[in-house]
Amino acid sequence: MYLKKLALAGAVSLMGTSAFAACSYENTVPLKSLTAGFEAWKAVTDAMAECGNFQAELDQEFRTKQPAAFEANPSLYHIGGVSNGTITPLLNAGTIRPLDDLVAKYGQNLTPNQLIKIDGKTMAIAMMVNTQHLMYREDILNDLGIEVPTTWDEVFAAAEQIQAAGVVDYAIGSTMKSGWNVAQEFVNMYPGFGGVFFNDDNTTAVNSEAGLNALAAMQRTLEYTDPEVLVSDSTYVQQQFQQGKIAMSNLWASRGGAMEDAAESSVVGKVKMAAAPRAVEGGAPATTLWWDGIVIATNITDEEADAAFRLAMEGMDEDMVTANNEAAIWLVQGYVPGPLAQGAIDTALASPTAPPYPSTTQMGLLHTALGNELPAFLTGERDAAATLEAIEESYTTSAKEAGVL
Amino acid sequence: MKFKTFAAFVGPSVFMMLLFIAAPLISVFLQSFQITQPVMQQIEVETCTPGFLTQTCTTELKTVPIIDDVTGKTQTTTEWVGLQSYRNVLQMDKVWEAIGAGSWGDILQIDFWKALRFTLSFTLLTLPLVIGVGLMIALAVNNASKSVRGPVIFVSLLPFIITPVIGSLSIYWLFVGDGILTVMLERWTGQDIAMFAQSWTIELLMYFYRVWHVAPFAFVIFYAGLQTVNMDTLESAIIDGASRFERLRYVIVPHLMPLIIFIALIHLMDCYRVFEEIVGFRSQAHVISLQWLTYDFLVPDDAGNRAVSRASASAMLTMIGIVLLLILPLRRTWRDHKGGAH
Amino acid sequence: MSSKATAQPLSLKIASGAFLAFWCLLAAFPIVWIAIMSFKSPRDAFAASAWDVIVGPATRAAGNGLSVLDIVLGLAFLFFALRWAFSGLPKLVEQYSPPGFIVLGWLVGAAAYALVFLLVFFGVLPLVFGALNSIAGPLGTPVLGLTTEHYVAVWGENQFYRNFLNSMLVTAGVVTISLTVGTLAGYGLARSGSNLAFWLLILALIFRALPHSVLVAGYLPWFINSAEILRPIFGNLSPTLYGQPWAVIAVLVSINQPFTIWMLRSFFQNIPAELDEAARVDGCSHFQAFRRVIMPVMWPGVITTGLFSFLLGYNDFLVTSLLLDAQNQTMVPAIAGYFNRETTTTDQVEAVAAAVSITAPLFLLVMVFQRQIVSGLTAGAVKG
Repeated sequence: MYLKKLALAGAVSLMGTSAFAACSYENTVPLKSLTAGFEAWKAVTDAMAECGNFQAELDQEFRTKQPAAFEANPSLYHIGGVSNGTITPLLNAGTIRPLDDLVAKYGQNLTPNQLIKIDGKTMAIAMMVNTQHLMYREDILNDLGIEVPTTWDEVFAAAEQIQAAGVVDYAIGSTMKSGWNVAQEFVNMYPGFGGVFFNDDNTTAVNSEAGLNALAAMQRTLEYTDPEVLVSDSTYVQQQFQQGKIAMSNLWASRGGAMEDAAESSVVGKVKMAAAPRAVEGGAPATTLWWDGIVIATNITDEEADAAFRLAMEGMDEDMVTANNEAAIWLVQGYVPGPLAQGAIDTALASPTAPPYPSTTQMGLLHTALGNELPAFLTGERDAAATLEAIEESYTTSAKEAGVL
Repeated sequence: MKFKTFAAFVGPSVFMMLLFIAAPLISVFLQSFQITQPVMQQIEVETCTPGFLTQTCTTELKTVPIIDDVTGKTQTTTEWVGLQSYRNVLQMDKVWEAIGAGSWGDILQIDFWKALRFTLSFTLLTLPLVIGVGLMIALAVNNASKSVRGPVIFVSLLPFIITPVIGSLSIYWLFVGDGILTVMLERWTGQDIAMFAQSWTIELLMYFYRVWHVAPFAFVIFYAGLQTVNMDTLESAIIDGASRFERLRYVIVPHLMPLIIFIALIHLMDCYRVFEEIVGFRSQAHVISLQWLTYDFLVPDDAGNRAVSRASASAMLTMIGIVLLLILPLRRTWRDHKGGAH
Repeated sequence: MSSKATAQPLSLKIASGAFLAFWCLLAAFPIVWIAIMSFKSPRDAFAASAWDVIVGPATRAAGNGLSVLDIVLGLAFLFFALRWAFSGLPKLVEQYSPPGFIVLGWLVGAAAYALVFLLVFFGVLPLVFGALNSIAGPLGTPVLGLTTEHYVAVWGENQFYRNFLNSMLVTAGVVTISLTVGTLAGYGLARSGSNLAFWLLILALIFRALPHSVLVAGYLPWFINSAEILRPIFGNLSPTLYGQPWAVIAVLVSINQPFTIWMLRSFFQNIPAELDEAARVDGCSHFQAFRRVIMPVMWPGVITTGLFSFLLGYNDFLVTSLLLDAQNQTMVPAIAGYFNRETTTTDQVEAVAAAVSITAPLFLLVMVFQRQIVSGLTAGAVKG
């Protein structure tokens, strides 16, 4: 029985790889890449590896390593994987090259939407978008006769009903792990209330009406979440969903697929997706849009850059997307959005649109300040006004140190 | 021993320590008085990012570093700022304000003091526990019959040898959410328990984990020490009519005293830089430690910023703290050294 | 303490026995528990009820289960295998290892034993049991959910053996270099009463107290740019240190030096100085005395210290995760990689399986060296 299973597993994995059409050419230049480690990157780098002479590094420390490794001369990696947050240090240091000539040479299959243009120059090629969407238990909402919520007020009303019915442990799941995650929740909510992050002189504008509203909404969420919400990251919320402990969550789109995995999930087929709820009626969804894509290093020879770009295009082609359709919301041609992606697509197409996550130095500093100061508010140690003040102060200190003020 | 021979013996070791520990330490020391920052300029940039079907392009004023044409690297300036970074970490003005207002609790809102409070209580509370538990296990094992000693020592050593990252995770899983031990506690007490929802339960778990992890080390050292207890002294104590407790108090503990100091020393140092527990138990929202604070300053955010100066300052403050803590136990070593010089 | 005068009242014996039993339970439980989790499907592994985790209904439903017959026979095999490890194996090792190389013999013996055990337990037994179950009727129907799929995934698909080999390389390097450099320094410090020696020791102690994250973050830019920095000195041969196992070994050895030299110094202090002085009277230099007189008697202390170095190198996360690239990644950062922002429950159970696998060599090590640890400590650190 055991051996049979082993053989079966082998066969499945073989099928998995042969579903890719093998590479259309033989790569002769040794190339290396440094990217994050999630499913979509695995798919893309696997497809690149088929062309030979390629080493992919999927590293959880890539944010620490990437700026330094690209600054070395010659650069330690040729291809980098970035998102709109992590491209900033590379752009600032000038360690990634403009790709316009390479796009003209190899980019026939790219859509204009994929080209990340900074001042008219293509600096990166996006392959997927990511955003939050509302995941909800269709069965529970139907049983209780609740409409799918479209604003946070409706979410809270629905949560009230679900809580009262007592069908799940907690009505709402939320990724408020202190640090990056909780800050991201604020970054989603705040523009939804019409807030802007910075004034023209680079000081932060979070200490405002919209800031207070965003904090109030976050605090309201706490009434319906797990009391341990300050340790829960997206994996944990996903797990709670799979175990049927929560009924709704505004979660990353890339997490949708896991609900249908029968080996992990006891709610297969019961979870549906809708656009991220709006903070105010008629406003933009309370979320930010993210993209992930590739960049090519400056400090390598032109031949290497040429080969690297060609290889990256091979990795991001239609065959790869067809084989990994559910791994992400691809921007690549050939992607067929499934039902799980609908919520994210609705979010991205909503009007007014949610803003993209700003790729600036200041945003990085503010994100850290938010991550460090928000927990004290959520544990009740500090009131909203004092928290916004503390965020402002902490941002100012680090912005001065970083030279942006 | 002649100096030359001595130098030859210790040379390689000292060289490695100087290169990999002292040199970075000196640079940390210098950086704590400096601020290095890129030269920034404000430019108008048009950025186009993808939505699902179409791009959105925005034109905004961005602050970006100037790139040097010759070297191709960003221009930076380094400035001596004296104690500015220390002030940023310590935030003394706020501390005095809090003291003036009589609201002592406010001091613990400031990251450094919050971290110091936890680090100290963590160090000082676990110390007697580790020594006590270690000693108790050692005595109990010594008491056990020879046949079970081997397996018992083996099992006892497990928490010590297991990879710390994994050890803390395994305990985290037992308690987080509906972890099986939380469920068990809930059934016992009849209450809904969330171990990771308030700081005191998290702290308790962290203390427990540390004692669980380190007590075996204390145990094995004490156990080794017990093997060399002078039987004659012990027997004469029995003849003198010393009770079991008195024998422990006046013969065994004094014999183990150097070991207790050794363990205390090691434990003080290791606990003072507590870090894995913070990450493993995800306690950042409630409690942080000094090394975590330094680490948090150093980890770059998405935009690649790291607060190197404040990290250096907080590292130096941590160092000063550890030296102060160690002075007491080290006075003895100094006396031994003077007394027992060859 | 077996003489009559120290005979203990029954109550004390029971109390001490009960305490010991409680402690053993406490010590082993978390580790045993993650071992159980690693054999279950993700749904069972993170189930709220302890009973579900142990019995594994979802795992059994997926067609992976053990019958009563499997359990009884498997436990019997386990019992005899373990008993032989404590009785037969030592004899065999002593018989076949050349004199003076008993430690090496043990290492080879333990590794061979582990290999054979794994082969039989996971390769041969399932086949035999499968055949038995089909004819055993009710005794042969599965009652306990259990699957090895996560281990297969970790070691097969994810090529964990590469991380294993990297870990072995780094750990072996750390232990050998650390001990070579450390014994010399420890001996020098033990035999010199100068103030310089004392202050060196104190300095080492302060070095040991340093928070590692500060040091490690300082290395990264130098390691990445080393080729550029060293070019004026070594020309085009200058290496990029980032990602090189030997550079990481050097860092770990240095970080570990303070503890090593303290341990070894106190050990050497307990070897009577008359021993090497006598050798020096016979015309030996310090180094000759060290080699001829000290080296033969220093092994208990060296083995104990070596074990601590081993633990440090094997368990390190901070240094290896930051300074090694994916090709040379060791096991602990590889496991931590399963827990980053984008993971699934399956990834987590695979991480647990990986975690249990990396604990196994530590088990073996302690089993083999347990006696040496105690005797080494007795001879050394006891004097402080």
